[in-house]
Amino acid sequence: MKRLLKIVDVCTRVEGHGTVKILLQNDEISNVDFEIQSNRGFESFLIGKKLNDIPKIVSRICGLCYASQTIASCKAVENFFNISTPEQSILLRHLLLFGELIKSHSMHFYFQSLPDLFQIFDISQKLFSPYELIRYDSQLTTYIYELIKIGNEIEKIFGGRSVHLITSIPGGIVYLPSRKDISMARKYFQKAKINLEFIIDKFIGVFSNRVPPEEYDLPNVMYMGLNNFGNFNRYSGTLKIKENVKNSIEFEEKNYSSYFEKDINLRGIDFHFDKNKRFLVGPISRYKITENYENDNINTYLGYFDKSWQNSVLFSNFLRLIEMYFETQQGLIILEEPVLNRRTILPSLTSLKNSEGIGVIEAPRGMLLHHYYINDNEIIKKAKIFIPTEINIPIINDTITKYAQELYNRTGDINIVKKKIQTIIRAFDPCISCVAH
Amino acid sequence: MKPRFIIISLTSCSGCISTLISLDIFPQFLERTKIIYFPFILDVEKIEDCDIALVEGCISEESEINLLKEVRKHAKKVYALGTCAAFGGILSLSNSKDIKPISDFIQIDGIIPGCPPPSKLFGNILIRLIENKDTSLSEKVLCANCPLRENMEKILDTDIIKINPNPEEIILGEENSDCFLKRGILCLGPITREGCESKCIKLGLPCEGCMGPVSKDFTSNIINFLSLVKLSKDLINYEGIFYRFSKPKLRR
Repeated sequence: MKRLLKIVDVCTRVEGHGTVKILLQNDEISNVDFEIQSNRGFESFLIGKKLNDIPKIVSRICGLCYASQTIASCKAVENFFNISTPEQSILLRHLLLFGELIKSHSMHFYFQSLPDLFQIFDISQKLFSPYELIRYDSQLTTYIYELIKIGNEIEKIFGGRSVHLITSIPGGIVYLPSRKDISMARKYFQKAKINLEFIIDKFIGVFSNRVPPEEYDLPNVMYMGLNNFGNFNRYSGTLKIKENVKNSIEFEEKNYSSYFEKDINLRGIDFHFDKNKRFLVGPISRYKITENYENDNINTYLGYFDKSWQNSVLFSNFLRLIEMYFETQQGLIILEEPVLNRRTILPSLTSLKNSEGIGVIEAPRGMLLHHYYINDNEIIKKAKIFIPTEINIPIINDTITKYAQELYNRTGDINIVKKKIQTIIRAFDPCISCVAH
Repeated sequence: MKPRFIIISLTSCSGCISTLISLDIFPQFLERTKIIYFPFILDVEKIEDCDIALVEGCISEESEINLLKEVRKHAKKVYALGTCAAFGGILSLSNSKDIKPISDFIQIDGIIPGCPPPSKLFGNILIRLIENKDTSLSEKVLCANCPLRENMEKILDTDIIKINPNPEEIILGEENSDCFLKRGILCLGPITREGCESKCIKLGLPCEGCMGPVSKDFTSNIINFLSLVKLSKDLINYEGIFYRFSKPKLRR
């Protein structure tokens, strides 16, 4: 007789509520699934809403990716009117995305991935709480808390508050920065740069000479993300799917549905591009798609890591530091733009041009796309939201299933399997709140 | 002895938790307390006795009720963290889920309202909790200390035709001078608790009610407000203006 056993383990140190379901069949692992508990139904209660009402509602999808959600949504609404957003607003949106990324990435790095890295590379097995981490390295801890605060302050200055921004509305940003705001923000970015150089040096010193374990290797995947002429830019660009140097494809956001589409039940994303391939979005894909950071320091930093790192999902931890470092410097450049505190009038959103609107952006965890449809009364009749982590779930499941099977065969210890799977999931940095939209 | 804290999330966006971690006083909070359960940053799986539990998120599933009751059993005080836990929050808009604030299932000792809770208010309440001091909130509505108060309309006879000003109407860098209700824009200041420092209003946008109601009888407040303003037909038929953040209670 076949013996079936289902083991459920709750994920900790992740954003939101996730569980891992391990299926044992005759004492062999047949499948492992990373599951998101519930769907909150945002796509269904957006139906019936007015267009300019949407961005602040969708902000509440996620308390970490709020700026990305709102800005992608504003872009989608603006798409209905074919208006061009004032340059000043676009620059401010960049700053808001930078602040969000600094906050989100540093929280993930410190609370979620660093304890795992210490354990994976056998540096310490017991640095699992902020209390222990402070004792282990108080300087690093201080620098991380400062980064979180800096991200937060950038949002407060230009967004009106730290989470669920007030200033971001369809049409632009309703805020005119003062000279004082700009000089404060400059101080924050300058401090962030110093902190990040320290943390990056530390990371290189501790980890670059070690070889990441094979179980964290990425299988052959298709990297997807926004491409802005090979530059690193999370606000705009064309969509690119890249398998390797030879094989890639690029298309405009309005044609996305020729390549991928929401699952019929709005749970998950299907790629018609190549059904056997897995897709990845987020820092690793952005790294693969970026051709030039135009920053000597970054090129030097990246040079410390060999192929064994570049194929590992653990490399994303380093890339998160690099992304913060890059955007910190971009922030400093933007703050010098004279248009930033020039009086601007936002465009009017009265003359409708399209019955659909699409907005795409690179959220901290990858490509985020909003697509809305309206009826004759300019009321939403359908909404589709493509969440980065939704795209990554199949590859997360493949990776944890393969490793769990191998580890269980070798050790026969389900508790070790449970623990190890969690570190792999955390390395992918899933945003469960977003998936459970 | 350091007060022992539990911090849990139910159905939520984790925005209150991320606000907590990015508060200026968070390092101080860690130092002055003992956090014994906080899945966002700790691996601990078991809920034990604590002095204070902060609960983020609303109830949308059966399993959450059990977890909530378990927390109540182990905590001397339970606080609803954020508007979802306190009043239901954004999912009050949901047409498929029957969501509820946590006070529908357990006795609570206080709330930290807001979507997310304003940093200053949040930080002050945390310090007062650590020091075992009174944490009661202002019972005034937002209008009481509104920056536009001087130009506030006493008799509201303007037709309310919009819930948002048009982007081109907002003059960047200047404080708006007129009460929104006078300009025909719906502002929920009259039925929303103060404590947010009127951030939206200062930026030229009306209050949406994210701090939640002052009195527990939210529904009668809305009825009262509706009897004082003239809503356009378009807005009367528009769903989810008044219960965008707070779910009205139906008592039978």
